[in-house]
Amino acid sequence: MSTVTFRNVSKRYGAITALDDLDLEIGDGEFVSLLGPSGSGKSTTLNLLAGLISANSGTIHIGEREITHLPPEQRDLAMVFQNYALYPHMTVAENIAFPLEARKPRPDKDVISRSVERVAETLSIGNLLARYPKEISGGQQQRVALGRAMVRDPRVFLLDEPLSNLDARLRVRMRRDLKELHRQLGSTIVYVTHDQSEAMTLSDRVAVFAQGRLQQVAPPREIYDNPVNTFVANFVGDRETNFLDGVLEGDDYLTFHSGPVALKLGKRQLKNARQKVTLGVRPEAVAIASSATDGMRAEVILTELAGAELFVYLRLASGDEIGMRCDPREVSVATGETVNVRFDPRQIHLFDQESGQTLA
Amino acid sequence: MNDNPYLRHAFRRAALRTVVNAGIVFFALAPIAWGVLSSLKPTNQILEVPPRFIPQDVTLEHYERVIGDKGLLFLGNSALISAITIVCALAIGSIAAYAIARYEFPGRKVLMVFTIGVMSIPIASLLIPTFTLLSVVGLINTHVGLILLYTAYQLPIVIWMLYGYFLSLPVEVEHAARIDGYTALGTLRRVVLPLSKPALVAAALFVLVFAWNDFVVAVTMTSSESVRTFPVAVYFYLGFYGREWGPLLAAAVISIIPIILIFIVLQRYFISGLTGGGVKG
Ligand SMILES: Nc1ncnc2c1ncn2[C@@H]1O[C@H](COP(=O)(O)OP(=O)(O)O)[C@@H](O)[C@H]1O
Ligand SMILES: [Mg+2]
Repeated sequence: MSTVTFRNVSKRYGAITALDDLDLEIGDGEFVSLLGPSGSGKSTTLNLLAGLISANSGTIHIGEREITHLPPEQRDLAMVFQNYALYPHMTVAENIAFPLEARKPRPDKDVISRSVERVAETLSIGNLLARYPKEISGGQQQRVALGRAMVRDPRVFLLDEPLSNLDARLRVRMRRDLKELHRQLGSTIVYVTHDQSEAMTLSDRVAVFAQGRLQQVAPPREIYDNPVNTFVANFVGDRETNFLDGVLEGDDYLTFHSGPVALKLGKRQLKNARQKVTLGVRPEAVAIASSATDGMRAEVILTELAGAELFVYLRLASGDEIGMRCDPREVSVATGETVNVRFDPRQIHLFDQESGQTLA
Repeated sequence: MNDNPYLRHAFRRAALRTVVNAGIVFFALAPIAWGVLSSLKPTNQILEVPPRFIPQDVTLEHYERVIGDKGLLFLGNSALISAITIVCALAIGSIAAYAIARYEFPGRKVLMVFTIGVMSIPIASLLIPTFTLLSVVGLINTHVGLILLYTAYQLPIVIWMLYGYFLSLPVEVEHAARIDGYTALGTLRRVVLPLSKPALVAAALFVLVFAWNDFVVAVTMTSSESVRTFPVAVYFYLGFYGREWGPLLAAAVISIIPIILIFIVLQRYFISGLTGGGVKG
């Protein structure tokens, strides 16, 4: 069983808490992304799991085995680094063979070379085996790094921003390959990224980090639909979420007020009803209202046409600026124009204004 | 010549540079050339007045004399001691430098400052205490004694050179090796050292030059012929009864030749090792 369990794990560097009391369980064969902005503790988490740094407190298990204090070479993991970290003095074949040569007893030469060829075949880098890392492209180096990790059939795969040094097109293509790879290998994968779309498309579950704290861990859909706080709501999604501060009124049928703006939220059960709330709504949940009675008046201040989507910046009567994402074939507006917009009520999130935690 | 003032200026600079370089080369090489040529002259022509640069008669008698005076034994001693010293200094030095470069431990900074500090202690001031020490442990007048001392003297500079180079290597590559199943020492041996060839060669040459040329330590710590090194043997031609210029010059030439050859073979590494520069990951 290759489950990974973090229990109360903390890591401090002097006054900086890089990772604060992490509790996280990753299932056998699961693909989990660690998502968060730079400096949020993702790499710290991964390096703790790999044994490259040691925790100040807490325990880490792989399956039943506690590995908190084991050196990296005894953990039976494979890792792909952001800058690939290929061995510059070895050929591609030697790079891929290197983890096998560390085994005791060392496998026969032809066993090793057969494994290397099989892996190279899978990644279509068979023609590069005799080259040195500096003689191949970034995308190819990336594949070699993957091959070096795959060749040992590790219990757990660790990837630290493996795609971030590739150009945009290649990155999207490699995503598919990674997903296919996970399907074939079936091994547990812990994947670090700051790119929310990577995390959302690849993972079974996403763990969102901010400032050394795990914020939420859930399947991508759940993270997107029910973010636990304003940070997660804002970080996940292609565009920034719109936030409006205001007050709630009503008992069962709630209304949101922000200055002159009033928004009927309908019947809602709130865990802990607060007066002062922050309302969050994604740009894709904002739409032009079909009738004038249904929506809020807003002035168009800027439009951006980006191929398949039209992004409109609007100013509400309250003075708040919000974004709207729509289909340019259905909506056409001009700067300065006044329109009626509405929020999809199922996609409105309410948060406590002070703590930013969800009220749902 | 061209009238363009810029070109004229450039030409003058080039000419000046050539003259200056030629001057430096002349001053550096002339004594050596003089030594080599004089070592081929018969004894009575060496101190001839007026001096003659090119020998009138060429003879190998001084070389035969040096070889005949157990020269090969002394050369062998020097080579053996130098080689083992290089191996010891690099083996211990690389492990020490790696630990200081890559591990957090209390006193790490102090240790490095101390290592650099001891380089400034003149060897002459250590001769008496080390002589006493070697006598007490029974290593006076032995190969091992000299090897130990040379290793100890050269370790600081070896550590310092390798430390700087290790720091310039990308640490992820070492992390990768650890995760791939290698211990810290395995990583040092299979990844770090192969990537550090230029620094290792530079450090080895430093040790070699010291161990091969050392006179003061060897003459103090050894007395019998069986452990005598070549520089000490050379000294014996400055005898009680006058200077034996012929064998002296021949011995000097014999002792520089291997060093020059090694430098020529390794100069590619030596230069890049001195100017630092890392390995791209
Ligand atoms: N070796 C270190 N020394 C001091 N601070 C560190 C060290 N490594 C990481 N940190 C700090 O820990 C925090 C988390 O870092 P990291 O886990 O690398 O973030 P990321 O999510 O970008 O991977 C950051 O504030 C970073 O500055
Ligand atoms: Mg990171």
